[in-house]
Amino acid sequence: MKISNFIWKRIWMTVPVLLGASFVSFSLLRLTPIDPAKAYLTVSNVRPTDEAVSAIRSQLGLDRPFFSQFATWLGDLLHFNFGTSFYSKLPVTEELYNRLPITAALAISSLILAVAVSIPLGLASALQKDRFIDHVCRVLAFLGSSAPQFGVAYLLIYFLSVKWDMFPLQGADSWRNYVLPAITLSFSLIATYSRLLRAGLLKGLNEPFVLYAKARGMRTFAILTRHVLRHAIRPVITAAGMNLGKLFAGSVIVEQIFGMQGMGGFFLESVFRRDYPVIQGYILIMAFIFVFGNFIADVIQTMLDPRSALEQGKVRGR
Amino acid sequence: MLHKGLRTFIIFSIIFTIILAGCSSNSSNKESNAASSVNASDTAAPANTAAEEKTLTISWPKDIGPLNPHQYAPNEFFAQGMYYEPLIDYGEGGKLVPKLAESWDVSEDGKTYTFHLRKNVKFTDGSDFTAEVVKKNFDTILANRDMHSWLGVISQIENTEVVDANTFKITLKSQYYPALQEFAVVRPLRFLGAAGFPDDGNTANGIKSPITTGPWVLSEYKKDEEAVFTRNDNYWGTKPNIDKLIVKVIPDPEARVLALEKGDIDLIYGEGVISLDAFVNLRDSGKFETAVSDPLASRAIIVNTTKGPFADLNVRLALQHAVNKQALVDGVTNGVEKAADTIIAPNFPYANVGLKPYDYNLETAKSLLDQAGWKLPEGKSIREKNGQPLEIELVYMGDDEVEKPMATAIQSDLKQIGINVKLTGLERQLRNKRMEAADSDLLFWSTYGAPYDPHNFVSTNYEPGYGIFEAQQGLPMANELHQQMKDVLLTTDEAKRQELYTSIFTTLHDQAVYLPISYLTSIAVYPKYVTGLKFPAHRDETPFDTLDIQK
Repeated sequence: MKISNFIWKRIWMTVPVLLGASFVSFSLLRLTPIDPAKAYLTVSNVRPTDEAVSAIRSQLGLDRPFFSQFATWLGDLLHFNFGTSFYSKLPVTEELYNRLPITAALAISSLILAVAVSIPLGLASALQKDRFIDHVCRVLAFLGSSAPQFGVAYLLIYFLSVKWDMFPLQGADSWRNYVLPAITLSFSLIATYSRLLRAGLLKGLNEPFVLYAKARGMRTFAILTRHVLRHAIRPVITAAGMNLGKLFAGSVIVEQIFGMQGMGGFFLESVFRRDYPVIQGYILIMAFIFVFGNFIADVIQTMLDPRSALEQGKVRGR
Repeated sequence: MLHKGLRTFIIFSIIFTIILAGCSSNSSNKESNAASSVNASDTAAPANTAAEEKTLTISWPKDIGPLNPHQYAPNEFFAQGMYYEPLIDYGEGGKLVPKLAESWDVSEDGKTYTFHLRKNVKFTDGSDFTAEVVKKNFDTILANRDMHSWLGVISQIENTEVVDANTFKITLKSQYYPALQEFAVVRPLRFLGAAGFPDDGNTANGIKSPITTGPWVLSEYKKDEEAVFTRNDNYWGTKPNIDKLIVKVIPDPEARVLALEKGDIDLIYGEGVISLDAFVNLRDSGKFETAVSDPLASRAIIVNTTKGPFADLNVRLALQHAVNKQALVDGVTNGVEKAADTIIAPNFPYANVGLKPYDYNLETAKSLLDQAGWKLPEGKSIREKNGQPLEIELVYMGDDEVEKPMATAIQSDLKQIGINVKLTGLERQLRNKRMEAADSDLLFWSTYGAPYDPHNFVSTNYEPGYGIFEAQQGLPMANELHQQMKDVLLTTDEAKRQELYTSIFTTLHDQAVYLPISYLTSIAVYPKYVTGLKFPAHRDETPFDTLDIQK
């Protein structure tokens, strides 16, 4: 029951977070000096005459008082209605519904790839500390954290798509479209995760229980994978939980380059267009994903080490 | 031990279930996507293999939009332009060419326009193109008059009338000479078939289907990915050579280049669609044909005459002599844009008025600054007047890949004559805000181009609110100039109109109100098997109708 209590508490905590995020984004948008009606006309390459601006303002409901607008938005939100895009005139839910799966698939596959590659890399470099493999991993990590995403993306496209025609260049039609972007996105994550894991494993190797295990005659590899890894992987899981949100929000460049019509590029354009309903809806979803990513990470942590939930319980004076 | 092992197993299986759950919902979605794309390629594949069917694939940065002829974004100009047809077309040098109107008469008082519509024109649904349909289109456009108020002719229309099945009459409130030229614009004055209208008849709320008289029919459409246009075999005019035109959405410019190199697309076309460096690389590679259009619009700097150093004519003139435009277009645009001597290119109507270009001459510029009282103190590099250094601000669009390097080059040009330039790069909307407030010394800007200019150019000059009128208030003859600009749009006498335009362009040139930099052009890059490329004179039109494939 301890763990389920902990989970319920975390779920309830998302409500104020989401409400806060939506209010802050709603007010900040309306504090910016740019009129969305004018922005729409500029994007359309039309001279913003006074008549056109006021026609659009009333069409978009921007001529109503602030709190009336906020009340409408909140009321609609309770019905899972995020409003209508100023730009495309389509419901925001529909716009996001078409794009979210692409970004989600990209984010999750990158994260899986990153974790899957980091574990053997981290293990190898911890086992072979300061030897050849460790040095190779160090160089990889260095490259991964310093190479810009667009550089990696263009290199991959140039060789694997244009030259050798192994993967398609644009689109999000099949799993093959996701290979290159997922490699691009996971490249820098692998760098971080494998170094985090290596540090954790090396620290774990100094723990007394490792000495006892050795005394019991276990081999170092077995000790690492069966005992030390469980602890050493915890920082990686925390980092991955935080990265999940970032991957959802920050894959703009990769989506653009690979022509994937996901959330990133759509959001960026909506910002330039001052498309309030889309921006608000996007921020709300991102807030939810950030909270959710951290929540999942915490749940996994608790399962790996139930003490963390217990400690929280004690603090509450259970 | 066993108990612990079991728990680890359960934990990892939970992690995997979560991960798989995340994937499976996506993969099902991907499968359905894949299925529909398979269909698309199934139908496209025989097109490539069967020699008689010609398919041309192009890329565009954005989705074509809903193909509503009467609305703006997210409808893409190019798509509306290639799909729907105007009454009158804009030809070479601004010559008006009959399109859906075979001919037209203008009444003595210049207020009544009678269009004799082309006969035997059918919409893609088989219905006839008649004066009734034209009226239906005009009615919905005029119902949203405010939205279209930027277009002079819309606010001038008083009455529309069906004279007979093939004659349509428009009455204006007052004389307005650019009316005919404005009938050539892409939006909103093009024609949708009656069956395409929504039930309430107001196309501002969307259309039922894109029914056109034009040379192409939309046959397949996948939003944000691809649109397939098939030749309209019942088209009244010269039919396109190619059977099928595929428009692929490729948002990233570099990816567009790579797609062309890979053979995924057959043509890159448009303004600013790829970086100018990439254009030069493709041109020099010898693998592709490249072409650059005639001037379509002007890139210029608005000089603020109301405040600061540029209130003085001599300082404005010094600016004209100090900027090396040729070096700018060569260095930044690799010669793709052409250096501009006048604010409106001489290939535009009424714009060839024989103005004498300002030459690039630093000595002239320096002596003009001396005359203006800005002297270079001993041992300093920035000029001063009454103890104030000569410092100005240049505002440009921060993410514009041409404006930014040009701004830097101008900064160093002006440094040579002792002017210190502060560069301010702003996002488009913030830059517009500064422009409207006339709150800068120099500001990068570009004209609307063909077919809107020069008449649209003069109205942006005399109408307050956009920042240009405001920036010209320092001119001693500002009122007179703006009156001439108003008058020219109302003149029906051709000679008088040219006289007024000559006077307007001369004043703007002599007063150095603009620093013309370059003329914007469209580019095209294509493999050698693509032939028949001819740039349209109209900025928003496309060359697809004349293209051919000879493999």
